[in-house]
Amino acid sequence: MAAASKSPRHGEPLPSIGVGTAICHHGELLQGVFEDRNGQLHRGLVTLPLAKLASKATFTCTATTALTVHPDDKTKAVLAARKTLDHLDIAEGGILHIDSDIPIGHGYGSSTADVVAAIRAVAAAHTVQLLPSRISQLAVAAEQASDAIAFDGHAVLFAQREGIVLEDFGGSLPPLLLVGFKSSGGPPIDTLNLPPARYDSVEIQQFRVLRALVAYAIRYQDPNCLGRAATASALLSQRHLPKRGLERVIEIAEGAGACGVQVAHSGSLLGILFDRAGKNLRRRADNVAASVERSGFCDVEFHQINDDGAKW
Amino acid sequence: MAALSPNLIAAAFPLMKLMPARYILDRAAADGALKTGMRIVETTSGTFGMALALLAAARGYRLTLVSASSLIDVKYRARLDGLGAQLIITEDHDSNGDQLERLRRLENIRREEPDCFWPRQYDNPGNALAYARLAEQLLRTVGEIDCLVGCVGSGGSLCGTGMFLRGVFPHLVVIAVDTHHSVLFGQPSGKRLLRGLGNSILPGNLRHDLVDEVHWVGAYPAFNEARRLLREHGIFQGPTSAAAALVGRWAASARPGARVAIIMPDEGHRYAETVFDDAWLASLPGWPCLFPSEPRELTTIEPASETDWTRFMWARRSLDQIVHPEFKNEGLSD
Repeated sequence: MAAASKSPRHGEPLPSIGVGTAICHHGELLQGVFEDRNGQLHRGLVTLPLAKLASKATFTCTATTALTVHPDDKTKAVLAARKTLDHLDIAEGGILHIDSDIPIGHGYGSSTADVVAAIRAVAAAHTVQLLPSRISQLAVAAEQASDAIAFDGHAVLFAQREGIVLEDFGGSLPPLLLVGFKSSGGPPIDTLNLPPARYDSVEIQQFRVLRALVAYAIRYQDPNCLGRAATASALLSQRHLPKRGLERVIEIAEGAGACGVQVAHSGSLLGILFDRAGKNLRRRADNVAASVERSGFCDVEFHQINDDGAKW
Repeated sequence: MAALSPNLIAAAFPLMKLMPARYILDRAAADGALKTGMRIVETTSGTFGMALALLAAARGYRLTLVSASSLIDVKYRARLDGLGAQLIITEDHDSNGDQLERLRRLENIRREEPDCFWPRQYDNPGNALAYARLAEQLLRTVGEIDCLVGCVGSGGSLCGTGMFLRGVFPHLVVIAVDTHHSVLFGQPSGKRLLRGLGNSILPGNLRHDLVDEVHWVGAYPAFNEARRLLREHGIFQGPTSAAAALVGRWAASARPGARVAIIMPDEGHRYAETVFDDAWLASLPGWPCLFPSEPRELTTIEPASETDWTRFMWARRSLDQIVHPEFKNEGLSD
């Protein structure tokens, strides 16, 4: 994820160059409000990470305090770089290059990927190892709301506006095949301009239950339980950012024996989750892809989540 | 949580009602409806009152409980006294719980002291909502659940847990356990020997349309099952828990591929001198009897004797659809 071209932190000649990458995600498996260990409620989410697309940041240290970024519209990334330098107590700036192949505005987390890649690149240039928890806090400081991709494949319940982990699920998601797609004609969504969802007391209790099911699913690598939790979270999200045709997507998923349906709770992505170890996976995934296209969805793609080296 | 067989798990509580009592008081304190030093009033047959008494003592509230003479024994009363609760006991000569008289007394107290808090366990939606915590514990322990078995008194535990579990497992079979001469599922009210489940009024927290099957368990098979739970599993729970266990055990053996969960609401200490005492059992008319190993199917809902166990396929219908089937026909015709 991060590599420095030179290792010295102090005293050696500049420039030092650091590279950092960060993966994107396919929205969330679960998003809502959750208690911390003291019973306080926090907004939180469980990210569905997608390793196929990534943002790559390169940071070249300079002797001056100036900090520049290319392309120059990556303002959150450069702010994250500044916060990282401040955290490391380094006055000198540098030049940040961002090179990302993640589409913007659909819920892939393109912005957080740029931010996390930038933080990793700055840290690498200064030969520092930052923990995922620190990277998350810096990311939230730079962009107000973040997601959990600083943890890569490690599943956590993440408070996206505070950058803290509410629960570490202790492992990775079980191997899944994700059939991802978008509502056709939907405009890109600016996550930060969405009003924060207000949840009632019934929903708050439902999130408690969904969190428990996700914890079980990761602990015992049970894709079916994970899918059930994701479907319920997608349905709860309808009151806040409705996805047209979600009921139809759930029907298609059930008809194909899929584990469940997930959505980007602040984006336009939807996905049907299959157990990677299921029978006739290729045929069922192809059928689902054809069905969702017939139902008016577009950009259907197959993604392997934690394929663990398996071919399909 | 205790595994009774490979596909049967029991959530055995010392005092389950702490869950809704705590949730309701927490919500009321957060909303400003309940302030320190205020009086709490409730009508209760026991365990919800005990939960309120524990919380009131710990949190500095005053508490008045209205109960009936057939529902409360001297030792339980002493425990409540010791926690500082004020008790008002009605004389229910019919031993049916005397719920209407208890509610009348409670109304009087509320008139005299309007600034008090009534948790309303029968109708407060918070009662059912509190059981998300039980659903959570079951899911963290066993994951997928196919069948939930629990007793109904206020409806909170079974309907709350069932609603939350069905939100993630729509196929969940919900089995309600009641006792003969309880009005909850359409029987006429009458004298009941088995306490802690059943009711002589209909609580708002009972959602009939969540229920797939209803079982009415008489006192004798429940008492026998309580002894069996202790003997064979080392589980010391009250006869209400035992009624649920009897039905749950049968449901699990009838569905070998399904995962069944039972809710057991209270422990056995309160029954040490009755259900767990051989001499007391022997003094019951007709004890010991032949204990049924499976329920008798009912086509018409009607009471049976305390030695009986009956079953009716409720099929997620409303009470009106069962008791007044003409409503159902009207509903279907439009």
